[in-house]
Amino acid sequence: MEVKHLTEHYDKDGYATIKGYQKLGGYENLKKALKMKPLDIINEVKASGLRGRGGAGFPTGVKWGFLPNNGEPRYLLCNADEGEPGTYKDRLMMERAPHQLIEGMIISAFAIGSPKSYIYIRGEYFYPKSIVEKALREAYDNGLLGKNILGSGFNHDMDIYSGAGAYICGEETGMISSLEGKKGQPKLKPPFPAIQGYLGKPTIVNNVETLAAVTLVIRDGAAAFRKQGTEKSPGTKLFSLSGNVVKPGNYEVPLGYKLIDLINIEGGGLKPGRKLKAVIPGGSSAKILNKEESEKATLDYECLAQMDTMLGSGAVIVIDDTNCMVDLLGVLMHFYHHESCGQCTPCREGTGWLEKLVNGIKSGQGKLQDIDLIETVARNMCGRTICALSDAAAFPAMSFVLKFRDEFEFFVREGRSKIKGTSYAKMHH
Amino acid sequence: MPKCTINGKEIEVKDGTTIMEAFYQKEVPIAHYCYHPGLSIAGVCRLCMVEIEGMPRTQIACNTKITEGMKISNVSDKAKDSVKWALDFHLINHPLDCPICDQAGECGLQEQYMHFGKYEPEMGQGKVKKRKVVDLGERVVLDTERCILCSRCVRFTDEVSKTNELGIFNRGDRSEVGTFQDKPLNNNYSVNTVDICPVGALTAKDFRFKQRVWLLKNRESICTGCSTGCNVNVYFNKGGVYRLKPKYNSDVNGHWMCDKGRDTYKHLNVEARLTKGKKTEEGKTTECDAGELAKQTAQLIEKIKKEGGGDSIGLIVTAQYSNEEYAAMFELFKIKLGSNNVFYWINNQKTFEAFDGLLYRGDKNPNTKGLLRALSKCKFDQTWDKLEEKIKAKQLKIVVVLGPENQEVYPDISEKLKLLNSVDNVVWLTTNQVLGTELLKSCWQIPVKSTIEKSGTYINFKGLEQKIKPVTNIVSGALTLTEAAALFAGDEIPFDSKTPVKGERVWNEFFHHRGDL
Repeated sequence: MEVKHLTEHYDKDGYATIKGYQKLGGYENLKKALKMKPLDIINEVKASGLRGRGGAGFPTGVKWGFLPNNGEPRYLLCNADEGEPGTYKDRLMMERAPHQLIEGMIISAFAIGSPKSYIYIRGEYFYPKSIVEKALREAYDNGLLGKNILGSGFNHDMDIYSGAGAYICGEETGMISSLEGKKGQPKLKPPFPAIQGYLGKPTIVNNVETLAAVTLVIRDGAAAFRKQGTEKSPGTKLFSLSGNVVKPGNYEVPLGYKLIDLINIEGGGLKPGRKLKAVIPGGSSAKILNKEESEKATLDYECLAQMDTMLGSGAVIVIDDTNCMVDLLGVLMHFYHHESCGQCTPCREGTGWLEKLVNGIKSGQGKLQDIDLIETVARNMCGRTICALSDAAAFPAMSFVLKFRDEFEFFVREGRSKIKGTSYAKMHH
Repeated sequence: MPKCTINGKEIEVKDGTTIMEAFYQKEVPIAHYCYHPGLSIAGVCRLCMVEIEGMPRTQIACNTKITEGMKISNVSDKAKDSVKWALDFHLINHPLDCPICDQAGECGLQEQYMHFGKYEPEMGQGKVKKRKVVDLGERVVLDTERCILCSRCVRFTDEVSKTNELGIFNRGDRSEVGTFQDKPLNNNYSVNTVDICPVGALTAKDFRFKQRVWLLKNRESICTGCSTGCNVNVYFNKGGVYRLKPKYNSDVNGHWMCDKGRDTYKHLNVEARLTKGKKTEEGKTTECDAGELAKQTAQLIEKIKKEGGGDSIGLIVTAQYSNEEYAAMFELFKIKLGSNNVFYWINNQKTFEAFDGLLYRGDKNPNTKGLLRALSKCKFDQTWDKLEEKIKAKQLKIVVVLGPENQEVYPDISEKLKLLNSVDNVVWLTTNQVLGTELLKSCWQIPVKSTIEKSGTYINFKGLEQKIKPVTNIVSGALTLTEAAALFAGDEIPFDSKTPVKGERVWNEFFHHRGDL
């Protein structure tokens, strides 16, 4: 069942304004946090087991703990460059509850001792940006940002920075490069951002949902936060359900929730007469699950890792039996080919190569060995680049070919889709 | 000081050493394109993959620091497979047009694909097409299809020349190196980008298509373009010198040299040189052997000395010769001829102290420090002003000129020639055909050897004594100044001697044993 913690008041009128937010207990957590010791907040977040909601699932408190004590200014960056295909939860959060994000950010900034934070918003998010901007002004007007916040002596400034439409700027070091005014390309690690990030200073990058969830940890305490979810994946999480379901949308469920329940209960199941074929559980970069796996899977970091895929950003893409997998892989490969920043050779060349191989099959020019080549090329793109975009392109390619090989082989042999019957080449004629 | 093993061999390195640096230090071969010891680390070519025991994935050597007990291999099957695949990714969209590529023979990509036997790329779907023959600036041409986007050139203009003309535009496999609008690659260090380009993407307009690199030999020498004295490799063959490239020297030029310095090979080739002794008397020119002309000069000098004493013989010196040569000439004038009329010809005095912050200096002579040392040793302190006076007073019956090797940096040469017109005898020792000798009624020109044909030492701006060795012979029969000095003194010398041992001996005696002259 859907459990509304973060999204409790999302459907209430005026929740996006400071008055509406404060009426429902908003900024009380900040008041509470400002009375705590920063280290206690970090420890509380550590104890809550809150894991990064952007995709990698790294424990937030542990990440904060990496900051060096060298007296340098620290930066907090909110990653709102939500670009993972299938994901649209941060947009909802920013549109409905911008103050929840701002509150979470001030608390986090207080905990890590940061005087300045930025919200890096995806370039296409004009509307969410306008809402967050308005909320930011309200927060300043109410003394929640700036000098001596709520009389605590803590100073903090917050700014918004708009991306320019590059998927790669959602990668934390790519985002830092972009924020520094450079070409949005990931940086070589080490050094990691916590040591040398924005402008070479210690920097923490957290996802919108992670920062918002910090308010829950402060409000209820770590123990209460852990009541939801599993041992290793505590709390609730927003899932962006999309694809061939009756009711696509954002749903907040406890981690560990059954994937099939999300599809059937929250999503209202598939359209009549359609059969489930596959699910991409964590955004387009996650490896695909076939029907059997989807029915067994639970939505938590450990179960999906065990199934050799990932929870990622929580974008659940449901695929029914009317879809051609060759076709879908073509769409994904086009995306990654288009979005590769082009720094590292395996990704720059590999993403284009994969798209060409899939397009070759789609145009009826494919050979059987091309199917193996997709797998081999993808395997050799994994773990060999600065950032994970290469892996993100390789994972779907490898898993599509592995799990739906029959459709690829049919396409090569017959020159047409097993599902749709026609080839693109023939359609053109 | 962590200990580690590289391909099974135990080594010890300094703290903070990267695996790549350790491979360099121990001279273990490792493939790489984007890494360059003179630039920041990009970590993008992914070719320097090594296997580290205990790590599931292969790592890049350039950005991984060595820790105690690390077991590193770049010859294990896993490492080799990673490298092979990195190479495959480089090759799929590369035109592989080696037969018509100027880089062939010194191309990193060619070396590696031959090493791995990857003569055909795996790509069967058609390669990405990009711009060919992109004119980047005065000296450099870019082929974006051959470019492997290692970003070395971009980092060079960012970090070394600090001119930032280059950038990588677009994304993914559409990425291309290019220049910004209205800002061509025209800095004085632009050809370094060609040197560091691991493939044939950047080529130098001056060198491209002139010679296949495997037909060239190279030997080290010193650049004579300015007083920095960059260490260079001279690339040459029977046809002469084709290019200069910087040779690493951490004390002088690091990895780089300037474009102006690269041009200095041009006046060394035979086309620009004086190949025979030339005797011009009352407008009539006859050619003769250099040694023969030197002997005639000796007779002339002897005669003049008898008639008018040593001081009627003058010597004009430029800072373009070696210490040994100055020693021999000064010894001749000071001791044997008893002349104190040695005049220092200073060129572009106004820009003498200029410096561009990187390598290029306003003093465009390779051995000013050496000359000054030799002059002060002999207490010679006269310059052109004094010379003019003495010419007007008809005190000089003969003037021997050590003409500049690089005449372009002596813009006042024809003006000076006019002054010399009123001297009865002018003996011009020169590597090159002297610009404007027709202005002189009477002049003997004796061909001398250039920097790359002799051995000796130059002292650069900061007092560093650097050796030059004979690289190749361009004008046979030309003399070194040491030889010329010996001949002027009436001594016999073996003409085919390539290493004027005598010059070095004289230099040593001159400075270390004899005290003040």
